[in-house]
Amino acid sequence: MAMEAVNTVTQDQIAEMVRQFGVERFYYDEAALLDAHRYEDWLALFSEDTFYFMPLRRTRMQRELDKEFTKPGEMAFFDDTKAQLAGRISKLLTGRSWSEDPPSRTRHLITNVRIVEDDGSELSVESNFHLYRTRLKSEETSWIGSRRDVLRREGGSYLIAKRTILLEQTVLLSRNLSNFF
Amino acid sequence: MALSYDIDELVRTGRGEIDRRIYSDQEIFELEIKQIFGRAWLFLCHESQIRQQGDFFESVIGRDNVLVVRQKDGGIKGLLNTCAHRGNAVCRAEEGNAKSFLCTYHGWSYGIDGKLTGVPGYRDFYGPEFDKSTTGLGEVAQISSYKGFIFATLDADAPSLENFLGPTGRLGIDLLAERGEMEAVPGVQKFIVDCNWKFALDNLFDWYHPQVTHVSAFASGALGGPPPPSADPQTEGSLDMTGVQMESGADLAVPVGNITGRPFDQIVILGEFGHGIGGPSASSMGNPEFNRAWREDPRVRNILGPVGVRVAGHPSIFPTTWLTTSNQLSLRIPRSPNETEIWWFTFVDRNAPEESRRNSVSRANRIFGPSGLLEQDDGENWSQSTKQTYGLASRKIPNLLHMGLGRGQIIKEDGLARIETTTNEHAQLWTYHSWAQWLKGTSWDDLRQATTPGDVL
Repeated sequence: MAMEAVNTVTQDQIAEMVRQFGVERFYYDEAALLDAHRYEDWLALFSEDTFYFMPLRRTRMQRELDKEFTKPGEMAFFDDTKAQLAGRISKLLTGRSWSEDPPSRTRHLITNVRIVEDDGSELSVESNFHLYRTRLKSEETSWIGSRRDVLRREGGSYLIAKRTILLEQTVLLSRNLSNFF
Repeated sequence: MALSYDIDELVRTGRGEIDRRIYSDQEIFELEIKQIFGRAWLFLCHESQIRQQGDFFESVIGRDNVLVVRQKDGGIKGLLNTCAHRGNAVCRAEEGNAKSFLCTYHGWSYGIDGKLTGVPGYRDFYGPEFDKSTTGLGEVAQISSYKGFIFATLDADAPSLENFLGPTGRLGIDLLAERGEMEAVPGVQKFIVDCNWKFALDNLFDWYHPQVTHVSAFASGALGGPPPPSADPQTEGSLDMTGVQMESGADLAVPVGNITGRPFDQIVILGEFGHGIGGPSASSMGNPEFNRAWREDPRVRNILGPVGVRVAGHPSIFPTTWLTTSNQLSLRIPRSPNETEIWWFTFVDRNAPEESRRNSVSRANRIFGPSGLLEQDDGENWSQSTKQTYGLASRKIPNLLHMGLGRGQIIKEDGLARIETTTNEHAQLWTYHSWAQWLKGTSWDDLRQATTPGDVL
């Protein structure tokens, strides 16, 4: 019976599972780099033309939910090219970036990974995250949200060609965003 | 309300000393809400955010939530977001467009002008003895706008907005409003810092801290533009950094840049009611403006006046409105003694080329706000400064604002009172001096007199 079930799995399904496995492993490796503060290695996962965007979110009536998030070109929490992300990282590496010294303790949990489109060269992937941060003696921040990524196939792995981060907060309930998502 | 403290002892202007209890004492906080936020004109939003009839933006006056609503006749009303029946909020969205406001408790509904339009079961349960026409949403006492910037006050006796702003406040707004046909970019960044609002307020005048608090942003070149010329503390003209060491024992290397690592010329404007402008003069290398061409326009020069055109510092409209030298406006909204909500509005010239508008927005997103290369390092300073004021021994140590104390010769010209100097703490001290006068709850005339600059600070 079990053997029959295995036999009904098609080659397409196996390919889909392998692709899913590869994307999830990519995200787990990415999260490990961030939590280990290996920011330069993390940056290498992004394409040169990447766009890293966290829009603002506003409490709106249901009939106006299409205007809930700001768009590129409007105000945002992150609105970065790769060079600008690199700037943030070089700031962290000066040894004088006080809001991260002592460094925040972070844990990135990545779940609900869904590949929603695949045109052969690029994948559109949605995932959920929980970024948990503690600082100093007793400060705790919890950010939950989703990421909409464009992953570009590159040398057997992926490059993040675009990342949009949607946070489940309107008024940000923390004093800063000195970490990456 | 009788205060347990002598207000004049809380701010010793002549010694440049501030009593730390003002940052965490609940009694003082309540007095601030009453005497400052219950009386001052406060910025609510910009007219371009509510262009169409029914457009609304929810803003804050002290603890009152105010719906700023564009009316049928093009006017603007400031409606208190609380139902006349039992107090429930009649609008739950931060912004949007509405035809009416419905209280979801019992269904009383209001027009965008705040008038009561419908009461469920009016004929069945109330009848004509309840006159609907005299019931409606409460309103602010006065609402007005200056060059598109909408302010309101809860005090019917407050002077007009133009009068409240005075030459200093008006110049502060002109320095942003006259850069073009300015409109607000969609989206207001909002975030909460666990600090007293006054730490977030006085910091806007503080041109002493960027080279240290924000050293990483400057030293890394992350702010864009060419890298700073040198990180060598021995560079000619650089700041005295003798004995300034990090915990590792290494010297704290501060890059020498336009506003870091060396003195530069500054102008401080001190205004009535505690308004002020502090920072670089326009001709100084410390002027951080990316575009200065607008200052050369004869029309603009005429509006700013001979003194104003030389000013490139940060304007503050007392108590909580900061207009930046770039294209932004920030509110530092008190929520409790140790909780402050910060809002960032951003403005662009609607006639500027698309690329220039895009660059202005991108720069604003990267510099200030919670992820800003500068402001991400500010919050922890304010938070830790606030926390220490809870210590029985720590709170007895006064905060010091005595840099340049007594050396600030005040020059009165073109309706403005100014000090020409270098890095200083004059504008912060002026803010606290005025804060103490507000707290006394005197008449508007007495308050104006007590916050009129003298000859020296």
